[in-house]
Amino acid sequence: MRFPVSLTLSRVSTSGNSLFSWLLLAPGMLFLAAFLVVPGILLIVLSLHDVDGMLMVLPTYSFSHYIEAFTSAGYIRALGTTLWVAALTAVLCVLLAYPAAWLLVSTRSRAWRTVLYVILISPLLTSVVIRTFAWIVLLAQNGLINDVLRRLGLIDAPLALLWNMKAVIVAYVQVMLPFAVLPLATSLGEIPAALPRASQSLGAGAHHTFLHVVLPLTIPGMMSGAIIVFALAAGSYVTPLLIGGRLQPLLPIGIYQQALQIANLPLAAALSLTLLVVTAAIAGLMSYVQKRWERRVYGH
Amino acid sequence: MSAIDIHGVAHRFGDLQALAGVDLSIAQGEFFSLLGPSGCGKTTLLNIIAGFLAPSAGTVVVGGRDVTSLPPHRRDIGMVFQSYALFPHLNVFDNVAYGLRVRKAKGEDVRARVAEMLELVRLSELAQRMPHQLSGGQQQRVAIARALAIRPQVLLLDEPLSNLDAKLRKEMQTELRRLLGNVGVTTVMVTHDQEEALGLSDRIGILGAGRLQQVGTPLELYRRPVNRFVGEFVGHANLIQARANGSGIFEAAAHFSRKGVPLQLASSHAAGGDALFLLRPERIRLSASSTDAQQTNPANPANSVAGVVRDASYTGAELHVTVTLPGGGELVVEAPEANFAEVPRVGAPVQLAWNADDLAVLPAESKGARI
Repeated sequence: MRFPVSLTLSRVSTSGNSLFSWLLLAPGMLFLAAFLVVPGILLIVLSLHDVDGMLMVLPTYSFSHYIEAFTSAGYIRALGTTLWVAALTAVLCVLLAYPAAWLLVSTRSRAWRTVLYVILISPLLTSVVIRTFAWIVLLAQNGLINDVLRRLGLIDAPLALLWNMKAVIVAYVQVMLPFAVLPLATSLGEIPAALPRASQSLGAGAHHTFLHVVLPLTIPGMMSGAIIVFALAAGSYVTPLLIGGRLQPLLPIGIYQQALQIANLPLAAALSLTLLVVTAAIAGLMSYVQKRWERRVYGH
Repeated sequence: MSAIDIHGVAHRFGDLQALAGVDLSIAQGEFFSLLGPSGCGKTTLLNIIAGFLAPSAGTVVVGGRDVTSLPPHRRDIGMVFQSYALFPHLNVFDNVAYGLRVRKAKGEDVRARVAEMLELVRLSELAQRMPHQLSGGQQQRVAIARALAIRPQVLLLDEPLSNLDAKLRKEMQTELRRLLGNVGVTTVMVTHDQEEALGLSDRIGILGAGRLQQVGTPLELYRRPVNRFVGEFVGHANLIQARANGSGIFEAAAHFSRKGVPLQLASSHAAGGDALFLLRPERIRLSASSTDAQQTNPANPANSVAGVVRDASYTGAELHVTVTLPGGGELVVEAPEANFAEVPRVGAPVQLAWNADDLAVLPAESKGARI
């Protein structure tokens, strides 16, 4: 944020502008420092503390928890599953987001577009816990879906819809879809109308035009959405815990158990940081690919 | 056979009648311009020819085939957009190849045709550049190469030069003439810039208020406009409403050579009755007048008048002078700057004169379509 703000201010006044812009930034910076940077450092320090047999934190330091994290087959598998589920969720969200974004962009009436936006972001207006319990009501053995299917005579015994990874992914997709739709809609809306027309005038039908003009030009929007969804899904623990159950091999559940049930805080810290770094690295890589593409196409 | 036949094409946007029954025939290989002010319906007509809009009424026939109900991609019409509409994610080569690949042309044919097109627009060495790395003029040449690569029956140009700066516009005009002259493709250009239209076109259709006001060669439109709209829109014009006084002389209604004495006009194009005369500013001769000259003038000679400079602007090649007549009314004069020793000062007395042949006649105000 600092860069654009000081740029704007330097046009207004030439003297003392940097002090003024720093003053404007100070509250936000202090907030971030107090609630993000300091806890982050504390977390790093905590992850390096040794623990004794009773899991009491010792004043000595080592990499023992990281060694445990990277040598335990369980944690490595959990990390892999977490990344895989997050990636799958991101892909599903982007695929499902496309028709929704298309509808948003092609809606001419402002009133209707507002209605659609409200519907789109409505999942974000409820708390994660309530939303998750709603899924339980739907998916449980005696839940709404099983009930309806049984009354219709389509099934004899209830289906196991809950307590598995499929249910977790369904719930993820439902709540994270707006994060994929919004950047995609922006990307679609920025395509000048003349481009699809140019494609048509060169003999391409709607299908060819979509694949060769529209789809490539929305790569930045798809990437932005995918990055957000991936990062959110990789770090989520309430939804998988309630819908998937505590036995699902997902790293956030393992961290939750280490921190709140087993109370091995240094190990929980080490696992958290591992997940954070890996997720950030993947998101950073996706972001780099996106920036490369944008530089190639738009030159900036 | 004509390349394009437009029969009774009309279009409505809600309550707005954008086009009201246009009939037009464009010959094979012709460069035809649709010229008119913004909102006259010219872009609507172009979009109807291209297929982006379906007309409310009428038919469009291209190369003997009725394409009215065909979608744009099956019309075989090349189009150059005002914004050029190059695909930003494709390099110059792939942009030009786009239409050929849609047609599933073989790789070597695509390469040969793209090379040929890039050579035509003199951009061979920039084939690997991305559109954002090109100047406006280069982007436009790529857009032309891309549209021509598919060997369209008709090429449509939508305000092709409007995004270029003045100097480049002149250059591209010459370049367009050379390019399209080489290819010989039937071209329809939409523009609001009359200089562009006059300079490039074989024929021009003047559109005003959704109707074709006049179709003709640039010279016909300039010298013999059929109504006030065309007279005023193409070039600059002094319009003088006048009435015959019975002795072969017309008396102006709003131009007076002295207080209460109407300006006397003699035209070789009008016989009698009411007439609306069009006098081109460059046809008026302007000379500095001394008070003696005014005194020695006969009482009221036709086609000559004394006046006072109200405004003079120097454009480099020409001088534009607005002259107020002593009894009321104004005439605008344009003359090569070489005719003047210095720019006339505001308030300076001048003498104006013109030939009877230069007073073109437009249909009288009451009958002419007032637009």
